[in-house]
Amino acid sequence: MEHELLKGLSSAEVKQVLNLGTRRNVPARTTLFQLGDRADSLFLIERGRVKLTLPMRVRGGEEDVFVEERAPGQAVGWSALIPPYRFTLTATAALLDAEVIALPREALLKYFSGNPAAAYKIALNLAVVVGHRLQLFQTMWLREMQRTVEVRSA
Amino acid sequence: MEMFLMALCITVFGVGVAAAAFGAATRSEHSDSPERPQPQLPLVKAIAPTRFFSDTVPAPPAMPTRQVPIEVLLLQIENHVRMEQAAAESFLESPTQAKLHSKTNSPFVN
Repeated sequence: MEHELLKGLSSAEVKQVLNLGTRRNVPARTTLFQLGDRADSLFLIERGRVKLTLPMRVRGGEEDVFVEERAPGQAVGWSALIPPYRFTLTATAALLDAEVIALPREALLKYFSGNPAAAYKIALNLAVVVGHRLQLFQTMWLREMQRTVEVRSA
Repeated sequence: MEMFLMALCITVFGVGVAAAAFGAATRSEHSDSPERPQPQLPLVKAIAPTRFFSDTVPAPPAMPTRQVPIEVLLLQIENHVRMEQAAAESFLESPTQAKLHSKTNSPFVN
């Protein structure tokens, strides 16, 4: 499987990076990480789907509302590479069990310092992932704002 | 002639008595004495302080009284988010103003 964060790396580099992590099984509907937790690892999804949610106040209670779903080959938890290293969403395995590779930040940073060429490619891949997320939610935000404006000026 | 004058006097007297009775009956409603304590009037609702933009924005439409179960509502939100993401992805593939403002069929907002 090709992971979005490891695109452009040689097979040897991919193997080196994956060897930094540990495989973790996440049973269906169980939490991988919670909003506000310390983000010490980022996760590459090997199998299953991971739902990302945010808490929203609904009818006086707090509910986890769907934000995004990530599939095999994609990454979740890149807050582990971005200060202040706190998760800003909650990640839960969807209807089926998921399997992820947990890559600890410390191990990754150590690998990056010794392999700057691989680190550069991973950083570019991460920029693509983060940039796409930004553009996606910027577009969704504008569409919601447009609806709000239409309702208020009706 | 005498009969006519008598009838006229009786009629005028009757009208006078009726007018006096009417005046007596309605006087208590219109002429409260100044010493009489005034009834407590309900306080006028305080005017809310002016808020940013609040004077020009109409009140949001009333929510429907019939509420769907919370699970259904959360599913509606999830479907809405998925549809909006699909619309946003479509826009990002080939950005045009028409795609940016394409209408959604999401029942959550329709």
